[in-house]
Amino acid sequence: MEKKKAPPPVADINVTPMVDVMLVLLIIFMVITPMLTKGVSVDKVKTKNPITMQAADKEDAILISVTRNGSVYLSPGNLKLSGADQLPERVRDLLTNRVDKTTYIVADARARYSVVEDVVDNLRAAGVSEIGLITEEPHENKKPGEK
Amino acid sequence: MAMAVGGPKSGPRCDINMTPMIDILLVLLIIFMVITPLTPHGLEALAPEPPDKKNQPPPDQDRTVVIVIDKDKSMHINNEDTDMDKLGPRLEQIFKTRAERVVFVKGDPDLEYQTVARAIDIAKGAQIDKVGLMTPKLEAGN
Repeated sequence: MEKKKAPPPVADINVTPMVDVMLVLLIIFMVITPMLTKGVSVDKVKTKNPITMQAADKEDAILISVTRNGSVYLSPGNLKLSGADQLPERVRDLLTNRVDKTTYIVADARARYSVVEDVVDNLRAAGVSEIGLITEEPHENKKPGEK
Repeated sequence: MAMAVGGPKSGPRCDINMTPMIDILLVLLIIFMVITPLTPHGLEALAPEPPDKKNQPPPDQDRTVVIVIDKDKSMHINNEDTDMDKLGPRLEQIFKTRAERVVFVKGDPDLEYQTVARAIDIAKGAQIDKVGLMTPKLEAGN
């Protein structure tokens, strides 16, 4: 019996492991992306002159989200509050031992202003004086070369 | 040769053609990588403390600039009528000679938040450093 000859060497790159790695990376990014948005996802106002607020992206940043139907959420923790009047107590707790007392409001573009006013009132009662109104930068306004 | 064409032994290839799939995957991967590090943007605002009635004299009324937005989205700077388009140039004109660039914004509770946010945005665009949000409780003084 004659031994079978080995197949000739294949000149193509073996893409299968590469595809495996890619798929895994893709899935990781797909899973992480929705988690990165802090608070509740709301339809933010598009503004022309916002400044970057790096601090709002931090893990312990105090974010108050106001949705279109008037619900108020507090992050970290993503707690739904029954009313803005619960804010002073909770925010004061979160603010103890902090130097930077800036608090961020992420309000839906079509939320009633009275709800936002109420949140601001209650934040002031909690000792917050600086508020960051998180908005969205329209993409067409980006200068070339700006990230 | 593996890629021999028309050879006597080469039958139909039964491998999946990977190249288009990898193309799509790479594009998706890059899209998700770009989306991820979006930094938040925002407008700075202040929640002013109500004036202390006992100790402090009230601030100079003439120099305080308040943008009032009514229910019908009409705007006033103090008592002067204005609108979205004229607001920016007018504010620039008012604050041209002033060092302290502070403006207060008072919106009707029935407005949508975006109307007020746009006004603050315009004020920021007119180089106003500090925007104070006037709220009902502030006006009531507590």
